[in-house]
This record gives sequence, structure tokens and C-alpha cells, in this order.
Amino acid sequence: MIATFFCITGLLVTRWIYLGHFPLSDLYESLIFLSWSFSIIHIVPYLKKHKNHLSALTAPSAIFTQGFATSGLLTEIHQSEILVPALQSQWLMMHVSMMVLGYAALLCGSLLSVALLVITFRQDIKNYYKAQFIQQLDHWSYRVISLGFLFLTIGILSGTVWANEAWGSYWNWDPKKTWAFITWTIFAIYLHTRTNKNLQVENSAIVASMGFLIIFICYFGVNLLGIGLHSYGSFTFSSNL
Amino acid sequence: MYTLKPSFSKTLFLKSPLLRSSFKPQFFPYTTQISSPCSSTPLSFSITCKLKTSEDGKSSKSLAKKIVLSEGAPAVSEDGAGNGEAQPKPASKGGGGGGGFGGLVKRFPRKVLSRLSNLPLAIGEMFTVAALMALGTAIDQGEAPDYYFQKFPEDNPVLGFFTWRWVLTLGFDHMFSSPIFLGMLALLATSLMACTYTTQIPLVKVARRWNFLHSAEAIRKQEFSESLPKASVRDLGVVLMGAGYEVFLKGPSLYAFKGLAGRFAPIGVHLAMLLIMVGGTLSATGSFRGSVTVPQGLNFVMGDVLSPSGFLSTPTKAFDTEVHVNRFYMDYYDSGEVLQFHTDLSLFDLNGKEVMRKTISVNDPLRFDGITIYQTDWSFSALQIRKDDEGPFNLAMAPLKLNGDKKLFGTFLPVGDSDSPNVKGISMLARDLQSIVLYDKEGKFAGVRRPNSNLPIDIDGTRIVIEDAIGSSGLDLKTDPGVPIVYAGFGALMLTTCISYLSHTQIWALQDGTTVVIGGKTNRAKLEFPDEMNQLLDRVPELVESSLSKQSDAISG
Repeated sequence: MIATFFCITGLLVTRWIYLGHFPLSDLYESLIFLSWSFSIIHIVPYLKKHKNHLSALTAPSAIFTQGFATSGLLTEIHQSEILVPALQSQWLMMHVSMMVLGYAALLCGSLLSVALLVITFRQDIKNYYKAQFIQQLDHWSYRVISLGFLFLTIGILSGTVWANEAWGSYWNWDPKKTWAFITWTIFAIYLHTRTNKNLQVENSAIVASMGFLIIFICYFGVNLLGIGLHSYGSFTFSSNL
Repeated sequence: MYTLKPSFSKTLFLKSPLLRSSFKPQFFPYTTQISSPCSSTPLSFSITCKLKTSEDGKSSKSLAKKIVLSEGAPAVSEDGAGNGEAQPKPASKGGGGGGGFGGLVKRFPRKVLSRLSNLPLAIGEMFTVAALMALGTAIDQGEAPDYYFQKFPEDNPVLGFFTWRWVLTLGFDHMFSSPIFLGMLALLATSLMACTYTTQIPLVKVARRWNFLHSAEAIRKQEFSESLPKASVRDLGVVLMGAGYEVFLKGPSLYAFKGLAGRFAPIGVHLAMLLIMVGGTLSATGSFRGSVTVPQGLNFVMGDVLSPSGFLSTPTKAFDTEVHVNRFYMDYYDSGEVLQFHTDLSLFDLNGKEVMRKTISVNDPLRFDGITIYQTDWSFSALQIRKDDEGPFNLAMAPLKLNGDKKLFGTFLPVGDSDSPNVKGISMLARDLQSIVLYDKEGKFAGVRRPNSNLPIDIDGTRIVIEDAIGSSGLDLKTDPGVPIVYAGFGALMLTTCISYLSHTQIWALQDGTTVVIGGKTNRAKLEFPDEMNQLLDRVPELVESSLSKQSDAISG
């Protein structure tokens, strides 16, 4: 995985130099950034402690995302695009990178919660290991989601401030923005359900699993609509199968 | 005996889920409330340390001073003297929050408060807000009622019951300003305020009070507990200090904590959100907005363009400023796409004096006296041509409809009799200000000319020279008094969310003969805590026989 990390870093840096601007202007680049974030999230606990449940999630996610980005499904947008005037700003780096990092962390955390629910409902695992595993999954998902929530907050706020600087209005119910806010709200609900000991484990896992779907909609689904201020990320499926 | 708090706040504490886990009755037997001045009895040992990190700065400094004082304060908790001051405060606060007059009036808001600050209610509200927002993106907003008649017909309702009646009566066509949505947001805001007031602020008081636990069983009941035979609680204190804890030692018992900011930060988060909401409300009711497309060379007065958004909007003197568009120009990539568009603006006051001059572009607005002018759009105003050496004529360019963001403008120069019904002429199309494409009477492509080249083109016997392409600048003006508040709220939110990631760890220890019993808990980093504790405890030195008896004598005496 470390080799993967360096490869993706190299790819991003090369693209940056070649394009002359930070490589985060369309869906292809943001997907590469997403797989880069997954590999970072994989590496950080790996350096502290070698064996880790999180790595079972982050490694395949990184590979899958990278594969999706490079696959034949999205060939139209591999070519580097030029930046439209609205995107030429320092804010681009901070806002989009924070959002993508946040998405990566939240996706990991919510996948862990899905795993937790799956394990809870399986009958064939013995009690003690089950309880311990569940506790560990619960704890890891809590920490990762908290981190992702932090990044998401910073990402949303920096995007809002950027919008105010560029267009004079910091909130306009653009679909992508609204869905980012919905994602934020769902994970705020997650953090709040954890404060109550009665509801803690299962209910919060359910909320986090919903969060997974919602992130998916926020990241991909809205782009398919192709409207609104965030239409740079839109794409159409083309196949050369 | 202990009745440290009146029953009112006790019920509140028990209700708030935040504190449910941390409040067991034996928590309170020995609460040191520091209020009495120092007396001169010195104590054998008193350890304080300054944390390296700065977030604890405020609370630790004040606590540290108080610690030194209280080590000398006699019988701080036993007779409740020191607590006398603590008691009236929560009571009065609760009473004060209840309103000024009459017992019944006092009780009613308190009940409302306690209902509002119920956590499941807040969670339900958040869910509802999220669902409404999702619905708002699924249903197209702001269309004419006809659109909804077609999309949600009565004879074929979506999902079996969702007709246009639902959409229009509930206000879903303008979801984000509809009464339901705004009402929900207002309810959420009041819940937020109620929750902050009733649960979080008392939490501050409690978390700042450091408690010693005086029985070994109480310590063993903690999440993590260990006993170290042949150890001294003082050594433990030193080790903890080295690890960044703030340590308090009184007699044989020890209390240490780290990361107290992590406990307060959620309060900061809620306060920041309230700040944002206030600023947002101010923006919605007190700002001015306007949009104008000005051809190069023309001007406008700010006040004519700005329209108020709500009832708090009041115009300022700056509204009389006149804005003049000196020049509008665009930069292009080598491939021909638009790179950036710029407008050179001059501002003149009522006397005609130029008060400001700036060239703005996208992401680089002009700010003057609270009003901001943004470059948001551009348009093609007119094409200046000479026809057969007559002119120059200004032909207005009209925007032609295209999909997506691409623009197309066109104009038409009639040739021959312009009153006949079937007038023919020369068409000129342009995508940007760079080059104009000309078509002849039959609609066939005739040529491309750049405005600056002054090269003539002959079409059907007419000689056309394109002299200039006059663009117009799309400007958005705005004044918004709520922006500083909202920005402050944003900054606070980012900061406090960061800080609330810290884990608040508390450790108690008791010297029981020659054994030290240790217990600890943390609120966030639960899995790593045992490992961290074990590492720390490994560093506590084991005491050899001869000094052991001296130690235990000194400490327990």
C-alpha cells in the first residue's frame, strides 16, 4: 500500500506541474484525490500498529476508486481540462481537498458501521469474539467519523466563504451544497446518538450506514443531474465496451 | 452528608444524556470548592504543572492558583462552608431562567426549556430538516404552478398519493423559504439554545471541579483500573506530569486530567452555530442585493440597482455612488477558451470626484464602504462596424439560446429594403469578443474577422469592416451586515470542532498502604486508553523495602 501511496502522489504531482494548476478541477481528478486520501487513511494507523481492521477497508477502497477513475467508463474526461474563471482561486485547493478527505474518512467510518451491523446480525460467531470485535469496530468507526466530520465541516465552511468571495452569497441551496449539508446533518446526528448510552451502538451504526448512502448521493448522484454551480463535476457515462 | 446541589439541577443532570454515565452518587462526597482565602497551614506536598498545550491555558491557570490556595484551606468540603457559594449559583440561575414573576410563570418556561433540550427531540428535528432538504432537491424549485400540475398530476400521483396539491400547499415549490422549513429551523435553533443553557453550561461547572475519590472501591469501579503494589502515589504524580497531565495531590489521593478543552469544545460548537444562525438571519433580513449588466463606457448609480432583502435593510450614504465601467476585456487561453474577464471600474461620489478605481475579475471583487461589487458574468453589447465606408454603426448583439454554459450572440445587418417582409441581410455570430463569424444573404459562411484587425470583408458586394466588439460586464452588487458575524461563527465552528476531537482523560489514584490503586476514564480515545495507561504505569518506579515504610508513614500521616 505504501507503494500505491507514492504512485498516486507522483501522479498527482505530475499532473499539477503539467497543468499549471492544482489537480482538482473535475471528477476524474477528484476521484484520484479520493483514492489518495484512502491510501493516507490506510497508512496512518498502519504506521502506529501493524495489524488493523481499518486496512481491510481502506486498501480495497483505494484500489476500487482508482480503478473506477481509470476505467473505460469515464474516458471523456481523462484529458486535463482548463480551469474556468470561477475556479481560478486559492480557495479551490483548500475547499475541494478538505471535502474529498472528509468524504474518504466518512466513507471508511460508515463502511465500518455497516460491517458492525452485519456482524451483529450474524448468528454463527461466538459471543466473546463477537462482542470484542463489535466494540473495536464501534470505536474505530467513531474515531474515523469524528475526523471525517471535522474535515467535512472545514470543507463546507471554506466552500461557503469562497462562494461569498466569488459571487457575493454564501448560501444558495445549490443541490450539491444542500446534499453536503444533509451529509453533515446526518453525521451530526450520529455523533449525538453516541452521547446517549442506551442508543449507542446499534442505532449509531444505523445512522452511519445511512450516511454512506448519502455521501454517495452527494458525491456522485448530484453530479449526474449536471445542474447548479457545481456542474464542473458532471459527467456522462460513455462506454467503449 | 451532602446536598451539594438543589434538586433542580440534579434532575437536570440526570436527564441530560451527556452526563448520564459520569454521575454516580459517590462522585460527590468530597468536592473541593475553592472559595475561601488561603490560610497559613502548609501541606506536605502540592503538585501542579503547566500543560505544554495552550488550550487549557485559561482554565488551568485559574485552577492552578486555586489549587495552591486550597491546599491550605481547612475543611473545605466537610462542613459545606466552601460549598455555600456553589449552591445558590445553580439555583439562582435556574430560578432566573424561569422568568421574573410568579411561581407559575417561573415554572412554565422551565418545563418548556427542559422539553426543548431533550436530545431525541433534537435528533428528530435534525432528521426532519435533512429530509426536507433532500425533498427540496428532488422537487424542482421555483417553477410556475403549471409545471407542478404536470409533474404531479392528480389522476396519477407519484408514490400513490403525492399530487400537486401537496406540493403547493406545503410550499415545497419554494422549499427553502417555505414556512415548514423555516419553522423547523427555528425549532432547531431554540432546541440548540435550550440545550446549551440547560445542559452544557452546568457541564462546564462540573467538569472544572476536580474531585478526589477516597475509597479504593470507587477507584476500582472505573473503566480502567489497576493496582501497583510497592509504589508511591507521588511517583505516579510525577510520571503523569511528565506525560502532560495536570496533577493534584491531596494526602494519599491524587486526581489528574488532560484534555479538558475537549469537554468544553462541544459547547463552543453549539455557540458557534448559534452565532452563525444569528448572522444568517441578519443577512436574510438586512442586506441589499442587485445585479446589472453594463456595457463598456456606461455607468449606473448603486442605489438604483440595489434592492432590499428584508425589513431591516437600511440604505447608507454609499448608495449615491456612481459606478462607471471604463473598460471591459477578456483573456483567453491559447485554445480559445475564456480564461478570465476583467472590468475596470471607477467610482465617483456625488460631487463627481473619483473615490476609487479598480479592475475587478472573477474571484477578485471591489469593496467600497460596505458595498462589494463582484464580477460574475459578461455579455456582448454591440458590434461596431463600417459598411461601405459609412458609419461607424453600432449593431446590438442579442444572446442566442444554447445548452449549458456556452454563449452565443448574433446580430443582423439588413441589405436592401429593410421594410419588406422578407428582408435579407448579413448575419454575424460571435461566441466571445475575439472573433466574429459572418454569413451572407443565403446563410452561407462568408468569413471570420477579428475586431482589432480592421480587415475588410466583401459579402455580396458590401464591404464590411469590423471595428470593435463592445462587451458588457455582468456585475453583482451586495451589502451584507451579517457577514462579519457569520464569518466569526464559521471560524469559531472550525476551531471548536477541531478542539472537540481531543479526549478528556481523568485519572484517580489512592495510596492504600504500600499499594497504589489507580482508576481512569476517558471520553473519546477509549481503545487506546488502556495501552497508554499501561505505558505510563510501567514508568512508575517500584519501591524497595527500606523506603517503603517511611513513604507510607509520611503520606498517610
